[in-house]
Amino acid sequence: MATVSRSQLPALARTNGAAMAAALGAGIGSCAMGVFVLLNEAGLFAPPALYGPAGGVTGRTTLATIVWLLAWGVLHARWKSRDVAPGPVFTWTVVLVVLAIVATFPPVWGLL
Amino acid sequence: MLFSERSLWTMVHGIGLGGAALLGLGAAVFYLYAARPASDTTGNAIGSRAFATATVFSAVMLWLTVIIGTYVIFPPYRASPPAGTSDLSQFPRALVLANPSTAWLHAFAMEIKEHVPWIASMLATAAAFTAVRYSDGVFRDRSLRKMVLTLLAIVFVLVAGISLLGVFVNKVAPLD
Repeated sequence: MATVSRSQLPALARTNGAAMAAALGAGIGSCAMGVFVLLNEAGLFAPPALYGPAGGVTGRTTLATIVWLLAWGVLHARWKSRDVAPGPVFTWTVVLVVLAIVATFPPVWGLL
Repeated sequence: MLFSERSLWTMVHGIGLGGAALLGLGAAVFYLYAARPASDTTGNAIGSRAFATATVFSAVMLWLTVIIGTYVIFPPYRASPPAGTSDLSQFPRALVLANPSTAWLHAFAMEIKEHVPWIASMLATAAAFTAVRYSDGVFRDRSLRKMVLTLLAIVFVLVAGISLLGVFVNKVAPLD
């Protein structure tokens, strides 16, 4: 009997949950970066620097990376075997990324 | 020595790794945009492996660019000059801030370069993961294709903009 590799399985037979989890996880991680930058600029929360010579950016980026990986991991565990409606995930991912870019845009900090 | 160690690291960061990431992203975006859901007789979309390779390559190059930028390039850039120093050429941040016409290179350009590349790396990783896990599915499933194409397009625009800002900073205050 002929065998087929995983890559030869029809793509549509696979659920899309893992892809949606990766996208939304990246959106959440991006937004976390924006939030940490805004909190720092507002003087409300400054994560400690992990590497002194590089300054506080090392703390902010490391925390955002942790949030990203946690969000991705949780979403992946919940969605990997499911089909998830792509529309809302796509919309939320784009919205979160746009918010992140706005939050890391220095002229916005002047409004705080 | 023709180039200092700091200058070499800057070239590795900006031209080597960042440039490679941009090339890979450009190739991946173009291929996914131009590709039709054609398939060969085995049912595999033609070129899906090459696309996945380009996407993973771009994500890896981006992460290396970001990590080297943050932990190797940024410290000497932001180093404070000793009191009384009049020659600021070895202290790029102090050099650009000393002149009102170039201060924006730190207050705007460098501030963006500190954070936005990390966002681009996360998005590129999501695209690479999907390209590898779903292989030809990215070419067949319209929603997956739209998602990955959008992520890659956003990353490409962000990285191109960040690279341009890096060129501006390095032109005025190079790490020599």
